[in-house]
Amino acid sequence: MGTFYIKQGRNIQLEGAAKTEIVKLPIPARVAILPQDFRGIKPRLEVEVGNLVKAGTPVLVDRTHPEIKIVSPASGKVMAINRGDKRLLLEIVIEPDGRQEAIHLRKFSHEEIKNLSRQQIIEHLLEGGVWPFIRQRPFSKIAHPQDTPQAIFIQAMNTEPLAPDVDFILKDKEAEFQTGLDILRQLTKGKVYLCFDLNAKSKALLEAKNVEKHTFAGPHPAGNVSTHIHYLNPIRQRNDIVWYLGAQEVLRAAALFLYGAFSPERYVAITGEGAEKRVYAQTIIGTAINNLFEGKLKSDMRYISGSILNGKNSGRNGYLSFYDTQVTVIPEGGRRHFLGWLTPGFKQNTFSKTFVSSFLPEREVAVDTDTHGSDRAIVLNDIYDQYVALDIMTFFLLRAVIAGDIEEAEKLGILECDEEDFALCSFACPSKTDVGGIIRAGLDLIEREG
Amino acid sequence: MRAWFEKGKPLAKFYPLYEALDTFILTPGKVTKKGPHVRDGVDLKRVMVFVVIALIPATAMGIFNTGYQMLLAKGLPYDFAQCWWLGAQKVLPIIIVSYAAGGFWEVLFAVTRKHEINEGFLVTGILYALTLPPTMPLWQVAVGISFGVVFGKEIFGGTGMNIFNPALVARAFVFFAYPAQISGSAVWVAVDGFTQATPLAVIKEAARGSSPIAALSDAGFHFHNMFLGFIPGSIGETSALACLVGLIFLLLTRIASWRIVAGCVAGLLAMSGVFYLLRGPEQLAFFALPPHWHLVLGGFAFGAVFMATDPVSGCATNAGRWIYGFLIGVLTVLIRVVNPAYPEGVMLSILFMNAFAPLIDHFIVEGHIKRRSKRLKPAGQPQ
Repeated sequence: MGTFYIKQGRNIQLEGAAKTEIVKLPIPARVAILPQDFRGIKPRLEVEVGNLVKAGTPVLVDRTHPEIKIVSPASGKVMAINRGDKRLLLEIVIEPDGRQEAIHLRKFSHEEIKNLSRQQIIEHLLEGGVWPFIRQRPFSKIAHPQDTPQAIFIQAMNTEPLAPDVDFILKDKEAEFQTGLDILRQLTKGKVYLCFDLNAKSKALLEAKNVEKHTFAGPHPAGNVSTHIHYLNPIRQRNDIVWYLGAQEVLRAAALFLYGAFSPERYVAITGEGAEKRVYAQTIIGTAINNLFEGKLKSDMRYISGSILNGKNSGRNGYLSFYDTQVTVIPEGGRRHFLGWLTPGFKQNTFSKTFVSSFLPEREVAVDTDTHGSDRAIVLNDIYDQYVALDIMTFFLLRAVIAGDIEEAEKLGILECDEEDFALCSFACPSKTDVGGIIRAGLDLIEREG
Repeated sequence: MRAWFEKGKPLAKFYPLYEALDTFILTPGKVTKKGPHVRDGVDLKRVMVFVVIALIPATAMGIFNTGYQMLLAKGLPYDFAQCWWLGAQKVLPIIIVSYAAGGFWEVLFAVTRKHEINEGFLVTGILYALTLPPTMPLWQVAVGISFGVVFGKEIFGGTGMNIFNPALVARAFVFFAYPAQISGSAVWVAVDGFTQATPLAVIKEAARGSSPIAALSDAGFHFHNMFLGFIPGSIGETSALACLVGLIFLLLTRIASWRIVAGCVAGLLAMSGVFYLLRGPEQLAFFALPPHWHLVLGGFAFGAVFMATDPVSGCATNAGRWIYGFLIGVLTVLIRVVNPAYPEGVMLSILFMNAFAPLIDHFIVEGHIKRRSKRLKPAGQPQ
């Protein structure tokens, strides 16, 4: 067990953390699977509008590897299949019937699980719809069942702004969590790394067995899975495959084996100054956002599935994204301010030292979605690296990607990265550069051409 | 108003101009489309305006000193208000012409390339003006900045892509194109027919083996008035104090790289220290100038604080910034002390190092890549 103190990065101080209290919500009126959440598969529809589904019925499968299935989180009726430009699949909306009937698979006892082979476990995870929760690096796509990963990382911490406290969610769930770890343990000959916060207190984490435990401390992105991989099993080339998943997915894997059914349960932290009741909601995958707010949504707010850094603007009629464990509500910006470039800024949210508030003690300030400026060419090229926890020369990596120089980008370590690792750079950049977007474009290019 | 400039409308071509003025008065008021949904309050406009703010002491000092030198040259008594008035009459037209001519090209390129006008020009326009002597003919000011903006910046693709600092390219252009108006001893004080050598020229002309400090003091130059800036010279460059105030502002706001400035100072002191140790009766008088005098001499302070720290044309690696700054300091002293052709070396050494900055960065990045590939994998991996 080691402790890593991350020096780079910074926390954005903002209001609106969730109270540590779990509220169980009723089955939502609508849930949806959002095919754009999945990377690395070509989705093929398995249902049509009007079909009846159970919790665990495949809704989407991968065209090339149909054993990878994305299953319905609820029993009910397929209400709509919404497409965008070029018939891009956007939403598969299901209207739950509230009964939560499930597709039943084989159950295993703790003892039986220990004697299962790797292949049996993989088949069960695929069959039960839990597989898509396991993703791989490089490229952050759904893991490939034929690969053998060098290691598996369990991300049991989250340092995004207002992020849910994984330690709190795992409280009193040590038995299931350990079962989940034992299942995952079979998937690799390498190590299973359990990475959590230095201050974690739950038994599930502190007393976990058969895994290598490491703690991380420091500001965001100390909790990013890239940071953990960077220190424990760095990716140097495309064949260095590691798998990773979140702590809640470990519980999901355990439930699949113990109870013989897909568990759609999802704990979501409701955060942000725009949310009135800020708690941890116990709900299901793909829930309609408005279900989290009892239908009381405000028109001047942005509803984000995820954090302010890496979340997706779900809109008031949107749904919780597949992997997200947090919803953030912040006011929309767009008001114009007179001579903004000259204002002293006593309450400005900034990493720069160009506002009065930069020299005041750190405190939580209100934020909105204003860009605070227009897009420009990169001029201040020295600000990025202090917010990146990886050994990456960000500016040069960006240059290599923009120039389409795949070879140089790989040498500079792009395979270790995901766009989320650069969200703070985009936040702080005075030229409003979408740093993460450039990195993602580079990764996509490498995957396509490599 | 906005409607006139939108697509398909008669003034659509001038949208960049409209946008620049519009966002100058009010913040753009745009919202983010994807993550990060919240952005930092700072934008490039603010950064560039802050550099201009950092230049206010040097500009004010330049205006005042221009008037002050004119009063001295005419033999008139000191008059505070008169210094400002006379100085403003000489300096403001240069700044206005620099902004107008440079701004014209900036807008032209923005309109033809259909991109927004970059605020970097706010800095270039005044930086260039401050490096000129107060007697510079206005048409030469305009020609110089035109060259600087077009060939120093726009042909490389605009702000962020330029190899050389555009203000220095403009300065170098007029320096070589119109040497009579920018060097010698007749141009530094804005009084017709009045000649006075700058401290640099005084030391250059001092006899071998003689004391440079004595030569300076015979000509009326002392450390304190060179530090404060009450000497003839280019408009904004004479006062090391004003540059120091600007530097403190830029470092507090973290806009300028302290590594580059520290590198410049270290290089300057190291190289001049070497010459100082080699001083002797056979050597040039310049050898015997104590290193700290070099800091207040010529345009070094201005160049190190405002020109070398340009993040686009300088090095982009931290180690590179030290090397880049250090070599600027070294080259400045080399040109000053042992090169008979050019009285001052800051401009040329920064331009020279601008050209080498990508090479320095290249080696630093190569080193980084080598270190990355050597990083060991943790033990016990199956593959």
